[in-house]
Amino acid sequence: MIKGRYDDENLKWIPLLIGLVLLIPFALKGMTFSYKYYIYILNTIGIYIILTVGLDLLSGYAGLISLGHAAFMAIGAYTSAILVDQAGLPFMFSLILSPLIAGCFGFIIGFPALRVSGMYLGLTTMGFGFIIRRLIIALREWTQGSAGLVVSPPNIFGFTIKGDWANYFLVWTLAVLVIIGARRIVKSKIGRAFMAIRDSEQAAEASGINLAKYKMFSFFISGSLAGLSGVLMAHTNHFISTDHFDSMLSIYFIIMVLVGGAGTVYGAVLGTLFIVLLDNLFVPELETLLHTMFSIESGEMESFIFGLVMFLFIIFQPTGLYGMWLKMRIYWKLFPFNPKQRFT
Amino acid sequence: MNQLVINNVTMRFSGVVALSEVSLNVNQGEIFSLIGPNGSGKSTLFNCINGFNRPQEGSISYNDTDLVKSAPHNIIEAGISRTFQNIQNVPFMTVLDNVLLGAHNRIDTQFTLKRWFLPGNREKEEAMALKVMDFLGIVNYESKFMSGQPYGIQKLVEVARALISQPRLILMDEPAAGMNEQETFEIARIIREIREKLSITVLVVEHDMNLVMSISDRIGVLESGEIITIGKPEDVKNHPEVLKAYLGEGFDA
Amino acid sequence: MKRLMTIIISITMFSLIGCGGAAESPGVTENEILIGNVQDLSGPMKELGKILPAGSNLYFDYINDNGGVHGRKIRMLVEDAQYNPQKTVVAVKKLIEKEQVFCLYNVIGTSPVEAVRPLLAESEIPLIAPATQSGTMSDMSRPAAEYIFPTDTGYDIQASILIDYAKEIDENAVIGVIYQDDDYGENVLKGVEESEAEMGITVQKESFQRGATDFAGQVMNMMKGGCTHVIIAGIVKEPIIIMKTAEAMGYAPQFMGISPTMDHRVSLAAGTAGEGFISANFAPLWNSDDNVPKLYRELCEKADVPEAMMGMYHYYGFSTAIVLVEGLRRAGKKPTRKKLIRGMETFNNWDGAGIQPLTYNRNDHGGAEAVTLIQIKDGIQLPITDWIK
Repeated sequence: MIKGRYDDENLKWIPLLIGLVLLIPFALKGMTFSYKYYIYILNTIGIYIILTVGLDLLSGYAGLISLGHAAFMAIGAYTSAILVDQAGLPFMFSLILSPLIAGCFGFIIGFPALRVSGMYLGLTTMGFGFIIRRLIIALREWTQGSAGLVVSPPNIFGFTIKGDWANYFLVWTLAVLVIIGARRIVKSKIGRAFMAIRDSEQAAEASGINLAKYKMFSFFISGSLAGLSGVLMAHTNHFISTDHFDSMLSIYFIIMVLVGGAGTVYGAVLGTLFIVLLDNLFVPELETLLHTMFSIESGEMESFIFGLVMFLFIIFQPTGLYGMWLKMRIYWKLFPFNPKQRFT
Repeated sequence: MNQLVINNVTMRFSGVVALSEVSLNVNQGEIFSLIGPNGSGKSTLFNCINGFNRPQEGSISYNDTDLVKSAPHNIIEAGISRTFQNIQNVPFMTVLDNVLLGAHNRIDTQFTLKRWFLPGNREKEEAMALKVMDFLGIVNYESKFMSGQPYGIQKLVEVARALISQPRLILMDEPAAGMNEQETFEIARIIREIREKLSITVLVVEHDMNLVMSISDRIGVLESGEIITIGKPEDVKNHPEVLKAYLGEGFDA
Repeated sequence: MKRLMTIIISITMFSLIGCGGAAESPGVTENEILIGNVQDLSGPMKELGKILPAGSNLYFDYINDNGGVHGRKIRMLVEDAQYNPQKTVVAVKKLIEKEQVFCLYNVIGTSPVEAVRPLLAESEIPLIAPATQSGTMSDMSRPAAEYIFPTDTGYDIQASILIDYAKEIDENAVIGVIYQDDDYGENVLKGVEESEAEMGITVQKESFQRGATDFAGQVMNMMKGGCTHVIIAGIVKEPIIIMKTAEAMGYAPQFMGISPTMDHRVSLAAGTAGEGFISANFAPLWNSDDNVPKLYRELCEKADVPEAMMGMYHYYGFSTAIVLVEGLRRAGKKPTRKKLIRGMETFNNWDGAGIQPLTYNRNDHGGAEAVTLIQIKDGIQLPITDWIK
């Protein structure tokens, strides 16, 4: 009787997502002979998606802002590099262990989150980022300080994964799994608890939700996912240094989540896609255009465009890209009987 | 015994005495109303029962569980749930999910894990919520987002969220505040049904005297943090101090 | 939907046709050689991001006006990577895969270059004259070292040379080093530690964060430690502030600097505090009377280069361009990436670029091992030594 009454229609997108993920590299290969560059960009997007989905669970769902997420990424990356290349553990083992270690750091940073929130939590997590940078430099015996670390390519059951093409499938397999997993989490009691913590701590507590436990858990899971993306980053780029994980990157991640629409998994995915593509494809094109049209020296264009996009989104589209899509869908569903105010 | 025992509870907020030596018992199966002017400490007493506030002196126990020492999220395990005066909900979640929020302690982790891999289990969860929503007559709103729902519906979702945890005692903080006459009538019916059909004890704070008088088995009157009287509606109605508190000095009964 | 499909199909068709006509060696056509450069145009070192390519283009224009290299003109693409390794990887990927450049040139920063090593190995593309002087560039045991041709003396070697020199002029010298706590400082520290072990001395070490503007603590510690010779591993701003701070404190050791501090703006801005400052230098001064500096000034005048731009960094871009052009010449009339590498490896003590003599061979891409020291006297930089190793 109840069947299909409340089925998660967003899950219908998952076969489409998997289809697209499988199709795009081949389409690119057919379309352009610089496909390797685009696949590399897609790999970066995949790695970032794993992180931003995790960040969305923390900041979008549980409402705990983090401005130090690149640090979790760094922990995952360095831990895996050390475990695989120096301790000789197999990559598959490190793929599971390193994110857990990053998650444990998340657990630790979760303690201050029990006391502070909002801007203060943002500052605390930002400080955590600086501490991790210092820590990496201090442990130079393993990390080679700020000189950076060369990392081996991933080796799965004797097969070495090398090159953008192979990396793509590794990265996106995990990214799709993370997207599906995250949707499962947010549509269960854990997701409801996260949202209740964000919107009404009183209602959450009165409903029997242990605030401390769930806040810590959200930091753990978010840290783990950031760690996972760090592991992939280290092993697909083959080189990591402290400069890879600067605090600007953390802010980029928050921007991705906000632009996509905080509090929706697909929003984080869309936001990441949008920002990375904007950054690597559209801004350079725009720069060249402006350069030829007005001969402007456009070194600062990128940050300018970024600021502008952020500004416009927060003013006009606070629900992000995903919210925009939802409104659009309602608009077309009701077409032509759509009252105008629906689309504002 | 099966009752809520509040014994000599004193609660001070940095010098301001919100409750002073309040003692009262709520028996299993009764509808007990707390009335009193604004600022008389009704909500503070609720917060003390609920664990949000820790009284400096006195004890609160329910079925021999010491509530003063319990964390707020454990109160629900003891069989007590509550609604809020100012609506507390998650706007960007559906009504159904908002109701399910209250079922947090009924859904164990194993069940959740199973649900992640077997889609069918989602329906078991929903069935729980739909049953309660059906009871309150808000089943039509299940898949709508909480934000933008009428005030009356939001109030009922509060009640549904409190009921889905299958409590034995429900604390209702001004359930009829801001409601029109018809909605208030509806609320009265629901409170009676909660007691009669679900055999849940109801402790209610309310300003609407007609509602209180019509539903309550017993009424406690709080003024400036002190209990003036506890008794049956008709006794309380004619109690001189109550009249004084409500209608002002110099009123002659 | 149908239209979309048509578009996709037609794009596919066109690109397949395009594939057939692709050149044998990427980036080389009948009359052009395309090279890729990655600079910091909007990050912490954006001043250099303008100056370095401007210096290079000065020479490329000169070569192009005179018929180019084997009849081909040189065109340089500059990508912005904000001195960030991750962004540099993306930029290099773009240059190699999308723009199809022939070779890479002057990519800035130590960790950015370290980060692109896997890409160099993958595409077998040479990187000529990376704009970093880290000793790790010439370390042949690191990945893709056979594709990198550094033109500079490593920071580690420079640090050793400075310590040697300090000990030479003053036997009782107490040496201290103030270093930037990044890959640059890391490499300087390596040289310092080697010298420590070799000479049996201890060097007082103080670090600062990149971008710091307050050095009172570091200078104070140097003073407390009784250092008579202080080596500054900073860029342009840091030595100026450090020396001014020391002057204000009444502390006057012999300050010395690693080559990034050799810019003439240091002497201009530091004023009396900078008097006597010794810095390591990779080239004869741009205002000296050697052949290349003369050509440089001549071209600057002809191209109306603004005064503010001229200087050792501009000259650095210019001189490394000479190295690249020489390499392209030696690669022959039908250049391939392999031929360029072989051509570069025929450099033997070659000093035509107006920098220290360069030597490359298959087993050693060390390039240079010498510096000259220059000192500020009466506000003017003067060379005080010949090439020393």
